Parts: sequence; structure tokens; C-alpha cells
Amino acid sequence: MTRSRNSRTAQKRSPGRSRVWLGWALKLSLVGLVLLAGFAIYLDAIVQEKFSGKRWTIPAKVYARPLELFVGQKLSKDDFLTELDALGYRRETAANGPGAASVNGNNVDLNTRGFQFYEGLEPAQFVRVRFSGDYVAGMTGANGGKLDVVRLEPLMIGGIYPKNLEDRILIKIDQVPPYLLETLVATEDRDFYSHFGVSPKGIARAIWVNTSSGAMRQGGSTLTQQLVKNFYLTSERSLTRKLTEAMMAVLLEMHYDKREILEAYLNEVFVGQDGQRAVHGFGLASQFFFSQPLQELKLHQIALLVGMVKGPSYYNPRRSPERALVRRNLVLDLLAEQGVASQEVVDAAKKMPLGVTKRGSLADSSFPAFLDLVKRQLRQDYRDEDLTEEGLRIFTSFDPILQMKAETAMSETFKRLAGRKGSDAVESAMVVTNPETGEVQALIGSRQSGFAGFNRAIDAVRPIGSLVKPAVYLSALEKPSKYTLTSWLQDEPFSVKGADGQVWRPQNYDRRAHGTIYLYQGLANSYNLSTAKLGLEVGVPNVLKTIGRLGVNVDWPAFPSMLLGAGGMSPMQVATMYQTIANGGFNTPMRGIRSVLTAEGEPLKRYPFQIQQSFDPGAIYLVQNAMQRVMREGTGRSVYSVLPSSLTLAGKTGTSNDSRDSWFSGFSQDLLAVVWLGRDDNGKTPFTGATGALQVWTSFMRKADPLPLDMPQPDNIVQAWIDPYSGQGSDSSCPGAVQMPYIRGSEPAAGAACGGEQQPADSVMDWVKGWMN
Amino acid sequence: MNKWWLPALTALAMLHGCASVPRGNIPVVDSSTRVSNSERVTANQRTPVAANGTSQAQSLPEDSGVTVMIPQGAGASSIQTFPAGNAAPISSAPIDTTPITTNPNPIADEPFDIASMNSTPAATSAPTGIPRSAPAGGLSADEQLDGPVLALLTTAQQQQGGGDLNGASSSLERAQRIAPREPQVLFRLAQVRLAQGDSAQAEQLARRALTYANGRPSLQAELWNTIAQAREKQGDSAGAALARQKARVNL
Repeated sequence: MTRSRNSRTAQKRSPGRSRVWLGWALKLSLVGLVLLAGFAIYLDAIVQEKFSGKRWTIPAKVYARPLELFVGQKLSKDDFLTELDALGYRRETAANGPGAASVNGNNVDLNTRGFQFYEGLEPAQFVRVRFSGDYVAGMTGANGGKLDVVRLEPLMIGGIYPKNLEDRILIKIDQVPPYLLETLVATEDRDFYSHFGVSPKGIARAIWVNTSSGAMRQGGSTLTQQLVKNFYLTSERSLTRKLTEAMMAVLLEMHYDKREILEAYLNEVFVGQDGQRAVHGFGLASQFFFSQPLQELKLHQIALLVGMVKGPSYYNPRRSPERALVRRNLVLDLLAEQGVASQEVVDAAKKMPLGVTKRGSLADSSFPAFLDLVKRQLRQDYRDEDLTEEGLRIFTSFDPILQMKAETAMSETFKRLAGRKGSDAVESAMVVTNPETGEVQALIGSRQSGFAGFNRAIDAVRPIGSLVKPAVYLSALEKPSKYTLTSWLQDEPFSVKGADGQVWRPQNYDRRAHGTIYLYQGLANSYNLSTAKLGLEVGVPNVLKTIGRLGVNVDWPAFPSMLLGAGGMSPMQVATMYQTIANGGFNTPMRGIRSVLTAEGEPLKRYPFQIQQSFDPGAIYLVQNAMQRVMREGTGRSVYSVLPSSLTLAGKTGTSNDSRDSWFSGFSQDLLAVVWLGRDDNGKTPFTGATGALQVWTSFMRKADPLPLDMPQPDNIVQAWIDPYSGQGSDSSCPGAVQMPYIRGSEPAAGAACGGEQQPADSVMDWVKGWMN
Repeated sequence: MNKWWLPALTALAMLHGCASVPRGNIPVVDSSTRVSNSERVTANQRTPVAANGTSQAQSLPEDSGVTVMIPQGAGASSIQTFPAGNAAPISSAPIDTTPITTNPNPIADEPFDIASMNSTPAATSAPTGIPRSAPAGGLSADEQLDGPVLALLTTAQQQQGGGDLNGASSSLERAQRIAPREPQVLFRLAQVRLAQGDSAQAEQLARRALTYANGRPSLQAELWNTIAQAREKQGDSAGAALARQKARVNL
């Protein structure tokens, strides 16, 4: 280490002046020694600083919601298996060990992996889930005992990466699977445990092997040198760098023991590229290539990963499977050769397929819209460094199953509507939430679902058209002394002079007036004339106030055109507004994040469920009833040509001027979805709310199969029998009498009983048929 | 000779430097500092918004906030009752208008006592300090309260008993996701919020629970008591008194 070349060369000089030269040489070599010593001290400081301090910054990891399992849960076996596949569960004939699952008819056996959640540890355990129809019918544990509730580990859906885009999952050396260390040492540096950082023997062997085989089969650098190279040095190839590397390797070995060096190596090694992101360490590599935790890997998978160290890009198993297979089997042969594994074990492993997943399932690009939402929420609470360096674990409400269904509904519908002229240029966005908890479950920000870019779900603020109407009717129905669902409205042309002096002349979509109608019909059929008139009676500022109470603070001017949706909102804002209606008048801020844990699994922050009652449940009940009629008899009724009539739904179509925006927003008991279709350049589309967005929405609801809407009837609501033609009180015994909800005291006086036999109410349905989309 | 000292000392210093570093066990896990945010429930952050929302929702009667908005004049005068010439009749399409009662059999025969769910004595003296209004103390049993919800309520109770209010809150929200319409879950959540000092949310959650508690008088009484507590803590003693009255009516 402290040898100097100067001293050797000096000795070859003439003996006559040797004394003088020797003196000089000695002095020079001393200077060299000092310089080298100084350099060594400098290197030593570098080596120690990086190795003892914080070695890596770890990007925050974002997790989907953990799938909860309990008896009576609505979950189809197919959806369950989709989730298991995404989590990298191995299908085996009998579930052995964590991360294994076996399917026998309606039973699915699995060994969960266990996970640290905010409120505690979910243990790894054996679970047998019995399905019946689309429900979980039974759940038992290892000893056959009944299990109440079990959580699977959550799917990792992305991370928040720093600029260098290095990503890793830290592993400890005592957590690695059998064979990993042995395979690594056997392949890369078989003298690792005996050398002091550099291995002359290894270099000699490399030269021998390479010259005798005529190919670069082995490199001469030790694992320590490789670590030093990755850790401290650039990839420049020069003799000085090689010497520095050797010195640092020796210094590293002086300070730290073999296991520490090996552990650092396992976490540092570069094994692949995922788009912009560099995959470092075997922990992340295992997830990236097999969707499995490292601990679960079997010999053939280990051999593949270790084999890739030599050339992560050249041996990429997804791009060059044949090459990777040859390399893997070569590594396996080495193991047999060196006696690490028996020939039978190696032969069995060689028969296995590569077993890599199709693409990096944890790729940052899988669900860009939702991750974007999460990042925005996090940036309000954390500094960027916290997010990219501290290894935080972010638990979200993201539901991968619903997301996949939403994406499929979107792409299938576009395919079906491809014939419409101009549909190619149409972009889309979608928000899926659970109205009962206020949690965002799925998000689409672009027609190309995997495309990260303009997040239309959050950023596209577009005129909402008739989606605003429920706010108009809610404002009216909050005054039960003046308005009920069966109050009469005039759907007739009129004009008003606005504050800006302009004359406003609203028109119906079909350019026809519909005369005197029931109040609820104005909403159900989305009539502009009657709605505008009602809104003017209630007062535009009051309607805007209602929108604010629904959870969206808009800065729209109080113009009459706002009553028909000239104002703009983002799909997320629309979801917020409709969520309050769906949730019985209780406003819930939209949440995408549930909690944050530190890298060590300690609770850091929670985003609790919060609600704020902003409306009388009675008024909300009436608006929901009218919105149900949108679906049964109004502009949304095409849903029931696809969905079963037992599925009660409420919603509203929206179309802006010249069909520039096609909206639908609606909900069941447990699921709310907002769909927007439109062009980025705000051009005309071939879609109305009903022919475009509603089609996507319907397709999604069919796949998601939600629970029917079922709002408990508030105390102040009464059901009254009325005559469908006159709107006057009637009796259940009267022919054609229908039941309508009223806020107590606003119902028409009960009519006299009719007696006699009931008559069919066929005629009542006739007028419905006249309705077109 | 002096010149010998320099390299010798340097070498010595270097060797010493190398040797003196402890071969300590260096963990792989980052030893970085904790993220700067302190743990706190963010509920209070929204208080201004919440207050704003309440003031906007003035049309709701101040006392109950949940129910009853009976119009004066009882409608007859303001509702036109004449048939319109070209009016379309009300469709008899199958709108689900049947009254929904959460519990068709409100009289419970099996008393459900949250306190008895937990063996830890701390739980009975839950930090909410809610007075048990009836000697029976129990809430009516509900046929919907099955395995998973009961298990999570028990976990939450243990966490609350051990002082882990955030954990209890988290477990209850888990239960809420499984059974979003079970008023007992919302009731327990309201109590945890009270213990956390967030009385505004405690009241809101209790009000939400009331909308699901039709036909369950003892639970309604408990909820009104929770609302009374929450209002008292917010300095609204008049509102608290009204809520207490409601609690008595419901018993």
C-alpha cells in the first residue's frame, strides 16, 4: 500500500554515485510515501464517511388500500385472484409458506405475508377463504378456527423519486433467502471470504479463464471492489481509477467485516432500469422482476438476479429472455461445480422457466393520475426531501381492482364509440370515490391510462352543464313551504336581462317547451327552461351558496347562465359536490391518503375521516329521489338497458354548449363515479352527456357491481299517495296512485279511498316512451 | 534525521486513524432524522372551514341540527293543487320509496355493552368520561354487528384503553369502511374524537350516526349525550341542554 515505484527504479542507477542517488531516492520515496499516505487518509475519510453515515436515500413508497377479507364481504373470486396475482402470490397445489396460494373450486388457500400498518401489525398467517357467488362465505385459519377479519398486504403502486431516480428496497443480510449469498459469492468473487479487498488469485483466475476460453467469462474485481466502484467512483476506466478502487477496497475491508460489506453490496448493486428509474439492490429487483419479496425467491430466481449483475441491460430477462436463460443456467452450473448446491437441485432449477412478471408491476407509471393526487396532497404536509429520502410509507385508499375496471370501461367504451366522427380527438377523465367514506378509489387523468401528463381529473376545469342542476333543485327543496317534488313548474321560453346588460334567453336541448311539469321532471329530463326559472326564483347567489355548501367553493359570477352550468369545475370538484348529496348531506373532504408511516414502521401521520353536516337530510332525500328518477325515466335511463332494475342509482347527465363537454356524475350506495369526455382544445365532440360519459359510467358500474342506493328515510320525511295527473292527495287504493316523499307538512292532504278493484296504470307509462336521449 | 520524523509520524497517524475506528455494527437501515412533521390529527385544521359550513347551514334548526324542518303554513297554501293542462303525470316507475328502517325490531333482547367487550379495566373509564345515562348502560344489540365489526370495535377499545387514540381512531375507520352504516362504529369514533379534544368532529359524527339509528332509542340517547358533551366542550351550553333533552326523550 505504501510502496513507491520511485524506490525500485532508483536502484538501477550506477553504483558510483549510488550513495548520492540512494539518498535522493530515499528522500523522494519518502515524499511519495507521504503523498500516498495523505491520499490514503483522504480516501479513508471518504470510505468511512459514506459507509458509516446515511448510505442511501430511500424514496417514499405509496401503497394501495390493503384488501380486507371478512365473511359477508362482497368480493368475487376472480377479483380476489386478480389481487393475489398483482401481489405476486405463487399459485401452488398446496399453499406453502408466505406468498403462496392454491385454488380448489370455491376455496382459496393462501399464506399472507404480514405487514406493519398504522394501527398495528397484521401477522403472516394461513387463511382459507370460501366464496359463494360474489361473496366471501367463510374464512378459517390454520387450525380450522374461524377468522373475523384479515388484511392482505397492500400493493405498492409507486414511489416518490428524487432527481437521481435511484430506487431500492433495503434488505438486511439475515433476511435474505437461502442460496443468495452463496450464489453471489460463487459467481462474482469466490475468494470473497478470504481476500483482503483485492484478490490476486481472482485476477489470475480471471486471466486464466478468459484466455483459455477466449472470451470475457470472468472479471477479476472482488465484490468489495465492485461495491467501491458503485459507491464512490465514476464508471471511468483508467489505471488510476483502478488503483484508487483497489486502495479503497482494502481500506473498506480494514474497517468493516465481510457481512457488512456484503449487505451493502446487496443493497447497492444495480440490476436494471425501469424507464427513468434505476433499480438498485436485490430487494427492489425481486419486486421488480418477480413481484415478490426477496425472502420468497427460489434458487432459479436467485440465479437469474445474480447472473444479471454482470450486465443488467444485456441480460435483461424481459427484453432478452434467451440470453438471460443461458446466463442463469451458467450460474446454476457454477453452483453445482463449486458444490454450493447438489446436481439434482441445480437440474431441477434449470428446468424452471424464467418466471419474470410481464412488466415492473410497481412501475411508477402504472397509475400516474392517482399518484399525482397523492403527491399533491403530500406536498402540502412534507418537504420534498422528506418524500424522496426518508423511505416514508404512504397508505392510500387506492383500489387497484376498481381502477382496472374503470380503465377497462373507458377503453372499451371508446372502442365501441369509435365510429362516431371526431371521437378520436376526445380526451377523458374519471373519478371514482366511496361516498360513505370520502375516499378516492380510482382516478383516470387521460384517455391513455398509463400516460403521465396533464391530469384532467384534477386540472381540467370545464363547464359542467346540467351537472349543476341538482344544486338548483336542492336550493329549492330546502324550502318545503314553497317547493316539493310535485310543485308545478312552467317550462316555457322567457328572457331576462342580466347584470351585464345582456339578454339571456335559455333554450331546451330539444328546442321545445314542455309546458307545465312537476318540479322533479325538470331535473329528471334536464329541462333548461323550467330549471332556469326555478333558479331565478330561488336566486342565483343562493344556488352558488348551495354549491359552496356542497363542498366546492367556486368564484363564478352570479349570472343566470350559471344556473345551466356555464361555470367550470374539475371532475374532482364535481365528485366532491355529488359526494355530499350521496352522503345524506354530510360533506366529506376527498381523501386519497389514509396514513403515513416512517421507514421503520412507526406511525407518523393520519388523515382522519371528517364530516360536516351541511344540509337537512330531508331535502337531500328529495333530491336523491329526483336523481333516481333521472335514471329511471329521465336522461340517464339508458343505464337500465345494461344494469338490473334492482340496482337503484342516482345521477345526472351534463352537456355543455355544442357538446364540448360530455359529463355524467352518479352514485350507488357505496360507489360514486364522475366521467368527463371532451377535447383538450375545447372543440366540439360527437357526445352528449348521455351518449358519451354515461356510456363509460354504465360500463364501469356493470363491472363494479355496486350496492343499490338506499338512503335511510329521515325523520321529517313522509310518503304520501298522490294522483299522478293532478298531483293532489290520493289513496293507496286509488288506481294509478303513486307514492312520493315529502318533508312532513308539505305533503298534499290525503285523498279519499277509492275502493273497488285496482286498475292497471298502463297509461302512466306511455308518456315516458316519448322521451329520447 | 529530522526529516525521518515527518513520514514516520504521517504513517503512524494514518495507521492509527485506520485502526482506531470502531468496527461497529453499521445498520443498513437509514439513521437519518425523522421527518419534520409532528404527529397530530389534522382534524382541528379544518375548524375554520367547519365553522364556516355551520354558519352557512343556518337553515337547519340550531337545536337538533339533524332533523326536523317543518315548514310553517304546512304547505297547503303554497302548493298549487290544480291540475295543469298538458302536464305529464308522475311516473309510476319503480322508484324505491319504501321507508327504510335500519332495525325492524328495535327492542333488543340482547344487551350490548361496549364496556363489557373489553377486559381491560381502563376501558370502562374511557377518557371521554361520558356519563352512562341508564343503569343498563348498554346499547341495543344489532343483528348487523357481526364478526369483523365487533372484532375491530374490540381492538379499538383496547387501543383507546391503552391511550392510543390514533390507533383506536384508525381501527374504527377500518370498521367504518367495512360497515359504513353501522351507527355504533360512528358512535365509538365520536367518542374517540371527544377524547382527542376534537369536539366539533365528535358532534358531526354523532349526528351522522343518528341518521342511521332509526328505531334504536337507547343508541339515540347515547348519541344525543355525546352531542351534548361535544357542545359543552365547544362552549355551547344551551345547545348541550337541548341535546340532553333529546337524550331523555329517546330513552
